[in-house]
Amino acid sequence: MAENWTLNVNAGAANDPVFVGVGEIPTGKFPERGFIEALTKVAILALKDAGMVPREIDTILLIPNLHSAADQADLVFSRMVEELGIHGSCKSSFMVHSGGSTSDNALRTAHGLITAGHAKNVLVLQAERWGSADLNEMITMLSKNGIPGEWELPTGIQFNAIGAMITRRYMHATQSTPEEMASVCVTLRNWANLNDNAMFRDKTLTVEQILASRMVADPLHAYECPPMADGACAFVVTSTENAKKKGIGHAVRVAGSGGCVSHYCLSQERDQAVLGWPLAAERAWSQSGWGPEDADLAEIYDSYAAVTTSALEGIGIAEKGEGARWFAAGHGDPGGKLPMNTNGGLLSAGHTGVGGGTALLVEGIRQLLHRAPAKRQVEDCQRAIIGGTGGSYMDAQIVLLERTRLGA
Amino acid sequence: MNTSPIVRDFRAGLADGKLLIQQCDDCGKPNMWPRYACPHCQSDNLGWTESGGKGDLHSFCVLRQGAPEGFDGDLPYALGVVKLDEGVQLLVRLEQTGPDDWSGYECDDRVEFVSKEEGRECALFRRTGG
Repeated sequence: MAENWTLNVNAGAANDPVFVGVGEIPTGKFPERGFIEALTKVAILALKDAGMVPREIDTILLIPNLHSAADQADLVFSRMVEELGIHGSCKSSFMVHSGGSTSDNALRTAHGLITAGHAKNVLVLQAERWGSADLNEMITMLSKNGIPGEWELPTGIQFNAIGAMITRRYMHATQSTPEEMASVCVTLRNWANLNDNAMFRDKTLTVEQILASRMVADPLHAYECPPMADGACAFVVTSTENAKKKGIGHAVRVAGSGGCVSHYCLSQERDQAVLGWPLAAERAWSQSGWGPEDADLAEIYDSYAAVTTSALEGIGIAEKGEGARWFAAGHGDPGGKLPMNTNGGLLSAGHTGVGGGTALLVEGIRQLLHRAPAKRQVEDCQRAIIGGTGGSYMDAQIVLLERTRLGA
Repeated sequence: MNTSPIVRDFRAGLADGKLLIQQCDDCGKPNMWPRYACPHCQSDNLGWTESGGKGDLHSFCVLRQGAPEGFDGDLPYALGVVKLDEGVQLLVRLEQTGPDDWSGYECDDRVEFVSKEEGRECALFRRTGG
């Protein structure tokens, strides 16, 4: 029996939350760039984009970092409130955390706070220094994320092994070839080449180069594994009423969302080629009033190609079993029928830990605000599918965004 | 270090050459991984049953570099997710099919429990012959 999920707020309602600004700085290796410095920069960029000043923000939602417990403490204990000069007026500052899907849950949190009246203007902030962190330390730290210490840590599992198992099962179930899997990475690189903030903005990539790169965790080649990067981004959410007062003509709203937490550790997933995407999609589509055929672009988590290809199938963008071949046919490329991960995604813009999904969400908002640089702006786009997942692909989160005219 | 009875007993089983599956003494259902309360009926009346050790290989990989701290000396090694015939799943190490070679495996292969992985608190599986 189909579930009934209804959003309790409609387009145009005074309390309907809308996205009005985004900020981002370049992703890559920036060892000299400080953590708080990065957060401050993207906060100010997002506020300027929204036409706001810091004191208008009453709530800060923090996306966690994975590189440093000390930096995490700075976030949790409200440092950004003071850095932005809103101590004494800011109502609330706190962290939301579900790993790679944090941005989707932060969005839902902001949405609920504004709808219910707990917040007026919410600033969501993210920064990560993965590209500058010690690689071995990060590998070891990540071997404890989504991996039960009692049962699975003793096997020596880590993130590339998790990605490799999902990839193997996906290839087996769909009979996708190594070339077809590699084509996903090529599409992402084609987009990254149009994004000046992407880690691989000026390097091209071919299927042949990928398949010739060293084997890291069979069947994953080195160029199919996400590059750890430093990066930061931010976005601003307000109410329709407030956006109208500010004279904002167009913004982005949430048409619906759906999710499914299918496991904690990968060994407990029933089907690694499917994950939680089908149920998440069913729930999201039941809220939105539009379907996959209505979307103008998609921004879906891509730490490994198979995560995205299974998502395409679960969401209904590609036929069952055809996700990788959908990419190989060029459908997600610039100029393709559904532009996919238009910032270059985690695999080519850079994997900024919890921030990879945030960057995809910010790109989706930016596209729908029609504020992407001309070379990658999807012309007159109105609707975007955002997909996220965290940990060992423990959850599938889908957010459906649409451009809305506020009639100002 | 977690020295909870469920961890201690599971590992003692492995050391004794047995793959144990937690079984709820109230509802009778098997739990893997072992849980601190039965996820089916919330009972804490939990015991053990020995697995037949046979199942299907859902997926696997061969890690060649980037091992977590303390595992460098094991490289390369293969990990697999096994769906046991008892209906529960677990992560295991896979026995090589040639020197540093696991090319003999495919998804959905029938596999069987061999023993505890030497030096590690986890199970080792191999392809079932024939």
